[in-house]
Amino acid sequence: MRAGWVALALAVGAAGCSSPAWNDRDYELKAAASAETVGSTVEVVRLAVGGGGRLTRPYLKVVLTNAAGQVQSVNDQFGGVQPPSERAEKLGEQLLQVTERAEKEISGLLVEVRRDRVEDPAAAVRRLAGLGERLRGFQEEYE
Amino acid sequence: MKKFLGITLGILTAIGGFVDIGDLVANALVGSRFGMSLAWVVVLGVLGICVFAEMSGRIAAVSGRAVFDLVRERLGPKAGLANLGASFFILGLTVAAEIGGAALALELATGVNYLLWVPGVAFVAWLVMWRVKFETIERVFGLGGLALVVFVVALWQLGPDWGQLWQQAARPAPPEGEAVPTYFYYAIALLGGAMTPYEVFFFSSGGVEEKWTRSDLSVSRANVFIGFPLGGLLSLAIAACAATVFLPVHVQVDSLDQMVLPVALGVGQIGLALVILGVFAATFGATLEVALSSGYCLSQYFGWQWGKFVRPREAARFHATILVVMIVATALILTTIDPIMVTEYSLVFSAAALPLTYLPVLMIANDRDYMRDKVNGRLSNTLGTIFMILLVVVSIAAIPLMLATKAGQ
Repeated sequence: MRAGWVALALAVGAAGCSSPAWNDRDYELKAAASAETVGSTVEVVRLAVGGGGRLTRPYLKVVLTNAAGQVQSVNDQFGGVQPPSERAEKLGEQLLQVTERAEKEISGLLVEVRRDRVEDPAAAVRRLAGLGERLRGFQEEYE
Repeated sequence: MKKFLGITLGILTAIGGFVDIGDLVANALVGSRFGMSLAWVVVLGVLGICVFAEMSGRIAAVSGRAVFDLVRERLGPKAGLANLGASFFILGLTVAAEIGGAALALELATGVNYLLWVPGVAFVAWLVMWRVKFETIERVFGLGGLALVVFVVALWQLGPDWGQLWQQAARPAPPEGEAVPTYFYYAIALLGGAMTPYEVFFFSSGGVEEKWTRSDLSVSRANVFIGFPLGGLLSLAIAACAATVFLPVHVQVDSLDQMVLPVALGVGQIGLALVILGVFAATFGATLEVALSSGYCLSQYFGWQWGKFVRPREAARFHATILVVMIVATALILTTIDPIMVTEYSLVFSAAALPLTYLPVLMIANDRDYMRDKVNGRLSNTLGTIFMILLVVVSIAAIPLMLATKAGQ
């Protein structure tokens, strides 16, 4: 009886951590929506970092903190979606590779700003532009 | 000369006081996603608020009583209570959104998390409502909100393609890739932002606080017909900045830091400082206006002594209401619920309740028992009736559209 309750609690816990995708198409749509959200955030960071001296440090810190939180939240949510097939699993891995890179990039910039300022804004803008382009391509392909 | 200065000051205050967190969020969000294709809603909303604010100012000046004071008498206790319930719920939600907006502005200025600012903002706001004179509150924060004019300067500095902005505005339809229901969902949110019910409660109660008489009608009309449309221009500038910076790169604005980014990019650090000051003044001022409005509504319905023109001891229940609303709203924001999300929902619920606010205004403005020779003219009645039909349609469509579009996703 006790084991039954534990199993039920684990099942409920697992359901809370991950959400299902009904089929491959549903998974693709979820992936496209995630790519869109992360792409939008990456573009904001690109604009802000490209703004250079026009932005104050506390303001840039808030922009980067919010952006890092948002991308992390999307990664956690999308990572929790169960892929319905092997094909969907590969698709998910492809997207997470890009979005996790975006998360790492933004977190790195946040660390730089907390310490002092973005060390090489031009290079950061180039990397962010590349990520944004890949995410947009992904979104357009699967939405 | 003194009267001219008074009118000018009133107009400037009305411009600065027109924009609050709802206008900021709705216009930036819509501009980034739909360009200027929803500009017609702002124009419509400004016309609507002008029509009904003029009526409520006239009611206050002629009858010496505020709108809600007359609602129960004119509609009866049951209909009045339904009106009170809906209005009070929306006012509470709006106070929470405004406190969150002011705290977010402080976060942008300092880099310190907004949740740490929330209790301080709420306490200072309560203290100001308790201690500071009504006229001072209105003037200081209305004029502070004028700093948002920096959105106009930023738009100029960003050097947008004016032809393209005009083309977007002249084509009132969803852009490619956006669904029609989503387009109308945001149209309703924008209308809710422009015609927020508290503006009328505050305007008419403010008229009574300042002891308006028939001779003040010209001041009231100047505030409404010059100040509000210029405030509407600020709303359009916010949308145009978002359309210029964010639309081409597919950014969907969803936080306050993103909303002010175009100003920083266009004007630099001075612009950023001004826009943060403007956002703080606008949202802090609106916190006071909405919290006071909640006190006005409840006290006027139950016939309690209300207002800042009497000492707090003489209007104890009015001040107690404000205190309770502030505590509940602060608690809501401290749950870490996103203030921008609260704002978006408050806009849609406001839109759903618009007829409840504006129908009594239209009825009372036509009642000779209260208005004597100053009842509505033909133009006011025609516009008022057209808007009432529109508002009923909007109120029926608001909630279903919110559900159907998953709140505009």
